[in-house]
Amino acid sequence: MPAPSERPINVYRVHPLTIWITAFLALVLQTFLPVVLPLARLIDLPLLVVIYFSVMRRSKVFGTLLGTVLGLAEDALSHGFLGIFGIANALVGYFGAWASVQFDLEQFLGRLALTAALVLFHSLALTGLRHVLMASPPSFQPLDLASLVLLNSALALVLFQVLDRFRRPA
Amino acid sequence: MSSFSGHAGPGKAAFLAGSKVGRDSLLEIRSPEFARPVPPRTPETPEVVQAFISRHRSFFILLVVLVGQLVLLSVEITRDRNLPLAKRWAVSAMAPFERSLRGLVDATGGTWEALRDLSHAEEQKHELGARLAADEAHIRDLSEAAAENQRLRSLLDFKTQAPYATVAAEVIGSSPGEGSNTVLIDKGADAGLAADLAVVTPDGVAGKLVAVYPHTAQVLLITDPAAGAGGLIEKSRSQGVLKGAGRGRCRLDYVMNEDDVSMGDVVLTSGLDRIFPKGLPLGRVVKAADGNIYKDIEVTPAVELDRLEEVLVVTSKPAALEEAKTRN
Repeated sequence: MPAPSERPINVYRVHPLTIWITAFLALVLQTFLPVVLPLARLIDLPLLVVIYFSVMRRSKVFGTLLGTVLGLAEDALSHGFLGIFGIANALVGYFGAWASVQFDLEQFLGRLALTAALVLFHSLALTGLRHVLMASPPSFQPLDLASLVLLNSALALVLFQVLDRFRRPA
Repeated sequence: MSSFSGHAGPGKAAFLAGSKVGRDSLLEIRSPEFARPVPPRTPETPEVVQAFISRHRSFFILLVVLVGQLVLLSVEITRDRNLPLAKRWAVSAMAPFERSLRGLVDATGGTWEALRDLSHAEEQKHELGARLAADEAHIRDLSEAAAENQRLRSLLDFKTQAPYATVAAEVIGSSPGEGSNTVLIDKGADAGLAADLAVVTPDGVAGKLVAVYPHTAQVLLITDPAAGAGGLIEKSRSQGVLKGAGRGRCRLDYVMNEDDVSMGDVVLTSGLDRIFPKGLPLGRVVKAADGNIYKDIEVTPAVELDRLEEVLVVTSKPAALEEAKTRN
């Protein structure tokens, strides 16, 4: 893989409305889907939206802010304290944007690997934050973690294909 | 970055010794590297800092965001309560959409359920139809078996009570044609059968064997024009000869006009033909009219010949006949 400085980087844009509508839909579905489909509890749609847009925009600031907003919204809709998801999603947004500059993520495998890594990081970050800030016991269930990563990565492949239709070269 | 942090060193001692000094001097004095001269402040310094901040702007923003949220969290955690207002707003904002989605899913689910039920009902209908057909066939089989059982039971009773030896046989075929008056049975010479043996059922006489093969035999029914048997009116004891008339009927010949014969009279075998044992039902009179000398009598067979299934072949002659034979 060529060094980041040598590799041409495609930057895309989407209409801001698309971003916020997508984010809002992700939040609505995230709260609604588990009611009708218990398996959807493993899915984190807002996280996938943060990953997609931060990678697509290649902006760490944007990734951080989008992650924060969506994370805080998730916190507000959950029974936990405000900030847990906010911090984890902000970190994901930041690192997603950073990785998009460092690596070629236009390829299928690149996207898949980054998504899997970020979902895993997000899960670990949440567990760590809860453990450190709220003294909740760390619970690492390898099988659950693997299911979480696989399911979200698989869903991301489909979701990203759909969202790609809305982007335009900057 | 310049060091404004306090170091307890010679610089601080000099400062505390207290002579009025200017800002530059103060910087110089407070610097940890007291001996080293501090470079004078140049206009580039803020630009370098600005450039540094600008270069790492995103990191600083991340830092600010994280610190802000950590502060928020610490406030929440130390007060041990959530921020109900924010949560209430979030939930209130989502609620209408979730309610709409719920309604949509319910409506879709209801329609889907209805469609599935309909499809299921269709499948069930086919399944029940198939099961009904199978059950009907089973019932038919059972009825058939029951009827066969009944027939065999009466045949067995008849066989047990009959004063002569018999061989049970099953009708396995009939001669082709509309006016078929012969049937094929599944017993033949190997079962000890021979020609001219009487074939009977519990209801009465069916016919006699006309051809015997190793494993089968042909029965000439009493309705065949070539068939004949000694007959006797049960009530009046008038004797005659029963002959086949075709089309499922027989005639009783040689009964005098003077004899008392009426419709419904039962005709039995007389035993004089030396084939059929005496006293077996041959049929019932359905028509009786005076003729020139003899009555014109039509008889319908006692046995339903077009529905023959099991029969008994009489293999031993009636005792009276045997005696008569012996005397002769």
